[in-house]
Amino acid sequence: MSQANTIDIEPLLHKDEVHRKVYTDPDIFDLEMERLWHRTWIYVGHESQVKNPGDYFATTIGRQPVILVRHKDDKIHVLYNRCAHKGAQLVGDTSGCVKAFRCCYHGWRFDTDGALLTIPLEGGYDNTGFCRDNPDTNVKKVPRYDSYRGFVFASLSAKGPDLKTWLGGVASSIDNMVDRAPDGELEVTGGVLRYTHDSNWKFFVENLNDLMHAIVTHQSSSQTARIVAKRVMDEKDEVPWAVEIFSPFTNRYSFFEEMGLHAFEYGHSYSGGKVSIHSAYSDIPGYVEALESAYGKEKTLDIFSENRHNTVFYPSATIKGPIQTMRVVKPLAVDKTVIESWTFRLKGAPEAMTQRSILYCTLINSSANLVGPDDYESYHRLQYGLQSEANDWVSMHRHMDQEIVNADGTIEAEGTNDIVFRNQFKAWKQYMSAEDA
Amino acid sequence: MTSVTSLAELDLKTVEEFLFHEARLLDEKKWQKWDGLFTTDGTYWMPASVDQPDPLNYVSLIYEDKLLRAVRIERFDNENAHSLQPIPRSVHLVSNVMIDAYDAVSGTCTVNSRFVVFEYRRDEQRIYGGAYIHDLIFDGTDFKIKQKRVNLVNCESALDNINVYL
Ligand code: FES
Ligand SMILES: [Fe+2]
Repeated sequence: MSQANTIDIEPLLHKDEVHRKVYTDPDIFDLEMERLWHRTWIYVGHESQVKNPGDYFATTIGRQPVILVRHKDDKIHVLYNRCAHKGAQLVGDTSGCVKAFRCCYHGWRFDTDGALLTIPLEGGYDNTGFCRDNPDTNVKKVPRYDSYRGFVFASLSAKGPDLKTWLGGVASSIDNMVDRAPDGELEVTGGVLRYTHDSNWKFFVENLNDLMHAIVTHQSSSQTARIVAKRVMDEKDEVPWAVEIFSPFTNRYSFFEEMGLHAFEYGHSYSGGKVSIHSAYSDIPGYVEALESAYGKEKTLDIFSENRHNTVFYPSATIKGPIQTMRVVKPLAVDKTVIESWTFRLKGAPEAMTQRSILYCTLINSSANLVGPDDYESYHRLQYGLQSEANDWVSMHRHMDQEIVNADGTIEAEGTNDIVFRNQFKAWKQYMSAEDA
Repeated sequence: MTSVTSLAELDLKTVEEFLFHEARLLDEKKWQKWDGLFTTDGTYWMPASVDQPDPLNYVSLIYEDKLLRAVRIERFDNENAHSLQPIPRSVHLVSNVMIDAYDAVSGTCTVNSRFVVFEYRRDEQRIYGGAYIHDLIFDGTDFKIKQKRVNLVNCESALDNINVYL
């Protein structure tokens, strides 16, 4: 870390461009882990992954292993996945259910809130200072964790805004996704896809609301899907879900311009709003009725009047509300990132809704899918292209200063403005420049 | 390919030859011909977990019907499919072939085998291993694939791009 601490952040950013080193320098990556990932709110998991007392889900916050777990009083905790004794990971699996955590090494047992239960031959610690009245013999809770409508975030720093304040304008994206469930609740379903990328995490996070790329990057899959569908289908055939999913990637530029962008404090953003590439999916019988009988016609219309594309909870998570999928960002090294994709079931909605979300995830997010590999290829070429010394600076000039800044500080812009990148780097700089948490 | 004289005579060698033939079509990039081995409603399925019960309620690495295979196959020849430039090469080895079930009346059979696939693209070689489960329909002369299930041994791990059909 000593190397990282000497990095001067100021010269790495101009208001309209960023130094290539932020994507390629391992020391900057180390500093990002320390000052961004280990300080801000990071998405940990969904409450439905730990339904019952004792259920746990092991994951990471930046470089640190943590456990999301439900205690017997039904409270959810986020613990460091580190045994209080000599530091072995308390659980190795990604998920499971336990009465208590028993360390694999010397058998210390801990309750699901981290409290020490038993130590084999405990007398050996008499008068050592490391006995059960020393709080260090409990498994530590991470400094802060909180959940917003089922989505659990945690922060390794005790300081900073609370979760609701931090979410700010993108909390409404979670609201809209949850409100789409007739029973008002979501549930993780259908397994997870984990996709390794040989590139910096920021390329992925920027790309989500880069509305200039889809037409070019996804031309081959989207256009081919349209052409093949035309060739093999009768006019009266129902358009298959897969074609509905692929087609909008090559909508006209004007469509993407009109989708629009919204950017917020702490680097958050979403694209779409009234329309998005998810707007034109066909109706699934029974769904609208279920929603109307739960909320009434007016509120139902209200829910559907929002159609957002990607919402980014900077830096760790992104959702697609209208199709109920989520991608979680796991940076492993300056040029290695794992993207996890999750699917949510809308409780109270017809099963076909879930099946379409599952199909979406398979078609767009798997390691062997027909869309993501072309994004991957672009990130790969960025990672290697930026080894070039031709120009140290990476552009984010598009529609510079054309965005509207509202009185409350929220930002609106047309869909192809680079404001999302400028806004992410503004937050990035704030986190990266602060020596204290 | 060997042709078989009657439904009752289905033997391991015939099945093996079919699997080798299928694998060879992939290696020789004869994707249209390969696709022609499937029944009209035939599916190619690579689950994202080994015990995955079905492809509709669980995410998969690949789950493709005829239409989606056509999209993937056409992308191999599309210069705008940047992730396929240059086109990946593959070698499929198929082994340990066993007929798990065969019904002479309907001609349906389930064949279990093991595979190793080498994928090569842009200076990088990747190696995949796993099991195939072929649901085949045999009409006395030819096989058709009703479903090819690919159980990748490490399907739950965080995989890099997979650019070829395994
Ligand atoms: S390290 Fe866990 S009991 Fe010793
Ligand atoms: Fe993309």
